[in-house]
Amino acid sequence: MRRWILFTMLVVLGLTTVSPFLWALKVGEAAPEFTATASSGKSIHLSAYRGKYVVLEWHNNGCPYVGKHYKSGNMQRLQKDWTSRGVIWFTILSSAPGKQGYVTASEENDYLAKMQAAPTAALLDPTGEIGHLYDAKTSPQMVIINPEGIMIYSGAIDDKPTTELQDVPTATNYVSRALEEAMAGKQVQTPTTRPYGCSVKYADSGH
Amino acid sequence: MARGCRHIGRAVTVSCGKVRMPPRNRSLTLPRTLLLGTALVFSATSLQAEGKPIPHGTLELIAENPWIAAGHALNLGLHFELEKGWHIYWINPGDSGEAPRVKWRLPTGLAVGAIEWPAPRRLGSSSIVDYGYEDAVTLIVPLRAATNVVTQKSAQLAADVTVLVCREMCIPGKTQLLLTLPIRSQPPSTDTRTEDLFAAARKSLPRVAPRGWRFGLAEVNGSFVLTVNLGRQITGAVFYPLVESQIDNAVPQEFVSEPGGFRLTLRKSDQLLKPIERLKGVLAFSSDLAYSIDLPIAKPGAATNGYNNRTHPAGSLQEGI
Repeated sequence: MRRWILFTMLVVLGLTTVSPFLWALKVGEAAPEFTATASSGKSIHLSAYRGKYVVLEWHNNGCPYVGKHYKSGNMQRLQKDWTSRGVIWFTILSSAPGKQGYVTASEENDYLAKMQAAPTAALLDPTGEIGHLYDAKTSPQMVIINPEGIMIYSGAIDDKPTTELQDVPTATNYVSRALEEAMAGKQVQTPTTRPYGCSVKYADSGH
Repeated sequence: MARGCRHIGRAVTVSCGKVRMPPRNRSLTLPRTLLLGTALVFSATSLQAEGKPIPHGTLELIAENPWIAAGHALNLGLHFELEKGWHIYWINPGDSGEAPRVKWRLPTGLAVGAIEWPAPRRLGSSSIVDYGYEDAVTLIVPLRAATNVVTQKSAQLAADVTVLVCREMCIPGKTQLLLTLPIRSQPPSTDTRTEDLFAAARKSLPRVAPRGWRFGLAEVNGSFVLTVNLGRQITGAVFYPLVESQIDNAVPQEFVSEPGGFRLTLRKSDQLLKPIERLKGVLAFSSDLAYSIDLPIAKPGAATNGYNNRTHPAGSLQEGI
């Protein structure tokens, strides 16, 4: 009950306002603007980060594919490495209330501390609006936005679509490779891949 | 799907009825525990083990013939039984999920072919659609025995299976399946204990499309438009793409009945940035009537009708993956 009151409050307060682009988003096009509340309580506007690379990471703490990257320390390492190079990293939580991966702000803060995760911010998206805006299908789906606000990558985190920890060291990480290429002024060689993982637990997801 | 009982004697009927049920009710009552115990004792005498537990279901390695015949092929089956609402995935899992994977460990002289995947079902919601199987499914795996395989001995077949089982959430499972079969020089015969399962599995395998059918496939306004002339009208068809990220899985497929056949419009995937030459997959008319298709995509301006389907030998769905 409390959860629903909170949820309703968040919706009423307009936790997430999104731009009216409802058509499918493609790599090479402008990344749609969003405003969201971070687990820290801060209000985040995507447009405030124009001029920097922005990584979006779809997260669900109960998904075994996400678990692979957090238990191995891979995601935290990526967050630390890239934010230290000036990249903005947003972990996005699009699970609807009552679904796997839904967390309150304080639960997310506890999780970030426990996992020693280091995103710029974790954004609460219980209505799934940001998820739908970016057509996020899975956790951990990854999106990269360049300093001009253009989406330059959307897809999987790497090329090993498994839940097995031993696959992390031998995988080619698409996010790091795309960021390296873009920062070197090169074309991103693999701008889209199938985003492996668990389906994002939107309110309407039946599986 | 009903299946024959494997063991002999009174306890057996019970073991078939009870033990094979997916473990829906986790709190075993005392009588049930006793029956389970009895069943386990009996199964120890059987050549084939009972299904191994996987998350929310069981998985069993079965064989279509009671022995391996030197120089002959034999069908093995990975038989999954799942609790209500839980599913596993097709070779192309769709928007999320992962197909089961198998690592075989076989004695010298034995080799397995690719998994023969039955036509899947669409599973999902308005924005995320996966392809997979619910309830029960048997994946057929052909096994070939060399002519000089050592007979008068038993062969132990071992399969290490990784499988993702999902409902609202996904649980990865791993299990090791074992099956011991005698090797003989006589030609193979049918195993009555498993023939129903294999018959059902074969019925749901995609077939080769009849030669007389005419196909057209063109790219129109960001969609692939498939036209099929089969000489009669049908009420519905669903296309399952063999390769990931070619069509948008979640967009509803638009089926239009036409004289002598139908037209099916498939939205192209946003992840597909480079043109593709062919579209391969399974065209399903119903749960047990599906056809393998592999068609060239017409260049703009070219004639778009009248292709013959590239014929597939049965079970060649692994091609190009």
